[in-house]
Amino acid sequence: MTTQVGGTPFHARAPRWFLRAAALLFVALAAFSGSSVAQAQDEVSLQVQVKDQQRDENGRADNQPVPGVSVVVLDANGAEVATGVTNDEGFALIPVPGRADYVVQIDEDTLPDGLALSPDTPSPATVSGDSFTTSRKIVNFFTGQSQSAEVSQIEKVAQRFADGVRLGLIIAMCSVGLSLIFGTTGLTNFAHGEMVTFGAMVAYGFNSAGLHILLAAPLAVIAGGAFGYFLNQVGFQQFRRRGMGLISQMVITLGLSIMLKNLFLWYFGGRDKPFLNYTNQVGQQIGPITITMRDLTVTILAAIVLVAVALTLQYTRLGKATRAVSDNVDLASSTGIDSAKVIRLIWITGGALAALGGVFRGLDEQVSWDMGTALLFLMFAGITLGGLGSAYGALVGGFVVGILVETSTLVGVPTELKTAPALLILILILLVRPQGILGRAQRVG
Amino acid sequence: MDIGAVLETAILQFIGLNACYYAIAAIGLNVQFGYTGLLNFGQAGFMAAGAYGIGQTVPIFGISMWWGIGVAVGYSVFLGLLMGVPTLRLRADYLAIVTIAAAEIVRLVVRSVAAKDAFGGTDGLTGFASSFQQVGVDLGLRPASQYGFWIFTFSGRNLWNLIVGWTLVAIFGVIVWLLMKSPWGRVLKAIREDEDAVRSLGKNVFSYKMQALVLGGVIGSFAGIMLALGNANVQPDNYSRDLTFFILTGLVLGGVAKVTGSIVGPMLFWFIFAFLDSLLRQLIDQPFRLFGTTLIESTDIGAIVFMVMGGLLVALMVFRPQGLFGNRKEMAFEGR
Repeated sequence: MTTQVGGTPFHARAPRWFLRAAALLFVALAAFSGSSVAQAQDEVSLQVQVKDQQRDENGRADNQPVPGVSVVVLDANGAEVATGVTNDEGFALIPVPGRADYVVQIDEDTLPDGLALSPDTPSPATVSGDSFTTSRKIVNFFTGQSQSAEVSQIEKVAQRFADGVRLGLIIAMCSVGLSLIFGTTGLTNFAHGEMVTFGAMVAYGFNSAGLHILLAAPLAVIAGGAFGYFLNQVGFQQFRRRGMGLISQMVITLGLSIMLKNLFLWYFGGRDKPFLNYTNQVGQQIGPITITMRDLTVTILAAIVLVAVALTLQYTRLGKATRAVSDNVDLASSTGIDSAKVIRLIWITGGALAALGGVFRGLDEQVSWDMGTALLFLMFAGITLGGLGSAYGALVGGFVVGILVETSTLVGVPTELKTAPALLILILILLVRPQGILGRAQRVG
Repeated sequence: MDIGAVLETAILQFIGLNACYYAIAAIGLNVQFGYTGLLNFGQAGFMAAGAYGIGQTVPIFGISMWWGIGVAVGYSVFLGLLMGVPTLRLRADYLAIVTIAAAEIVRLVVRSVAAKDAFGGTDGLTGFASSFQQVGVDLGLRPASQYGFWIFTFSGRNLWNLIVGWTLVAIFGVIVWLLMKSPWGRVLKAIREDEDAVRSLGKNVFSYKMQALVLGGVIGSFAGIMLALGNANVQPDNYSRDLTFFILTGLVLGGVAKVTGSIVGPMLFWFIFAFLDSLLRQLIDQPFRLFGTTLIESTDIGAIVFMVMGGLLVALMVFRPQGLFGNRKEMAFEGR
């Protein structure tokens, strides 16, 4: 790949004196910028904070600063670099020579009587040179009981479970379309994750243009439905008519996934951003769990939508037709059901539900260009667990997977690997009961 | 705009190390996808197995780098069995789902803090490739000197990487070509066309599929080895889901179920990629901007080029599923 040096390319025909002058200027600039970097490094400092962990009457964290504590900063070889004493706000600003590795110690004898360092605080604290993201690096020391130690095991389980329910509802909502599209046409849509991201992107677009998220969300759902309709009408319906193999269609969904994902990256940028409304939320204590009103609302709304989907499938004519087509297309068609119409409807509702799931996920976490891609694999685990192609399987399976993923951290799975158990579920269910919980057994292989 | 420079970059990528390891991975994927009809969407996982197998030797295990080839093959066989045992008796799409998931989990595990001692976390692994480069030096290629002619001028180190890489491509190409002409290869193709018919002839379809999956995976792990040795490091985020998709794009571009397709396709993929990339970079450097000032910034170019490559895969499947060298009949198989 070519890299442009210095921005403006010089033309080969430029006079020699011009090139020399430019080169001189460049060298001077480089020297100048080098010296300014060195100056900036002189201002690097460590902000050492000592806090006593307390809670207010509502049980919220209310840490108090601890003044008058002596702080010593050592370099990587153990030599003393600087010292300081915490002020009334509980911190000591200690200038250090540059962005390097340091060891920060506090003199525990200078702590006020009755206070001792919390066992969870590493002391002495080590600071690595890489961790200076700005010129001021904050190092915290806590005294008293750590907050997390006060949370009982039951509260922890309940909290994870509540988070799991929310994730599970979102996964279930996103995967209804995925499962039904598979059930009716046999297609595994690898671009379904991008349909989820699409919803969040549209909502973010309207939201950042000044529309409240309560207005932007329905518009995103409508756009998601239209997107599903478009994909079926322009793409997959034509492919089915042309008799294209399912494997070819699957590869097309892969290409579509790459295309859409990078379109989102182009439009949205690589960083995670929250919606503009309901950002600063305070956790409410409800029984053993702490949840923000926003997350609670998301959970309840998602549950209502999913119950509505299940009731529609169970009782309405259209729902019955959908289940019939996903069970057996030929039989359904021969009883007079217009299966092409049902498939179109599934693409529309699937796209709309995925978009809504994306908006909810964006509220729950943040909006990012690859949020749906990360969910896709959990959706697959969910619909396989529930039974590929079964209408209710997606709901049940997605829900179970969400809870399992969130609660897996309780049994020692590191947070960064909490999606790994979903793969385990996937493999186990395929070994033991490949048709899933709600699927019907069929002879394969 | 300097179209000569654009073409030069593209031609260098056509024969470069990227095209080379893509080609090795595509040869492996072709055994699974092209010849046997197995939807392995996790080739990146096999490549990671290879790269980490060779990367772990010196820094983690403290053994000679050359044992790494054995470790890499061991890892990829294990990964192949893990993916194959639950899925190969089932419909084709289950394999697709499990491979895509397993490859992603492999990436999450090797970049995790919890397994940092074994895989180096997000920093990856370095400091294992010196014995490989030493062989090149012993053969007389001075690492810092320039070799070659016209635009094809490489440092001794890069030239050594390219020689080894393309030799591996040739070796695996010939092996797969010979295998697919053998009775064993004909069984694989028969499984792709009609699995039940093969079963009725008394063949153990499950076992053949498993052999194809593992063989393709082992070849894929050599792509990872080559990437690790060429860069002299292992980076977990190189082995993302998209890597598999781009290798697949290269394979489809060349033509599935053809050895020539699996080699030329990835080369063309990188030619087009580099061409578009440097063309766009040249375009937005001009005073008049093609799409206005704010629409495309230089940081967007990567995303735009990848978007076009995704579109290329869609367009190929719709309009020319057989790619350049393939036979349309061989792409007509149904998922089972």
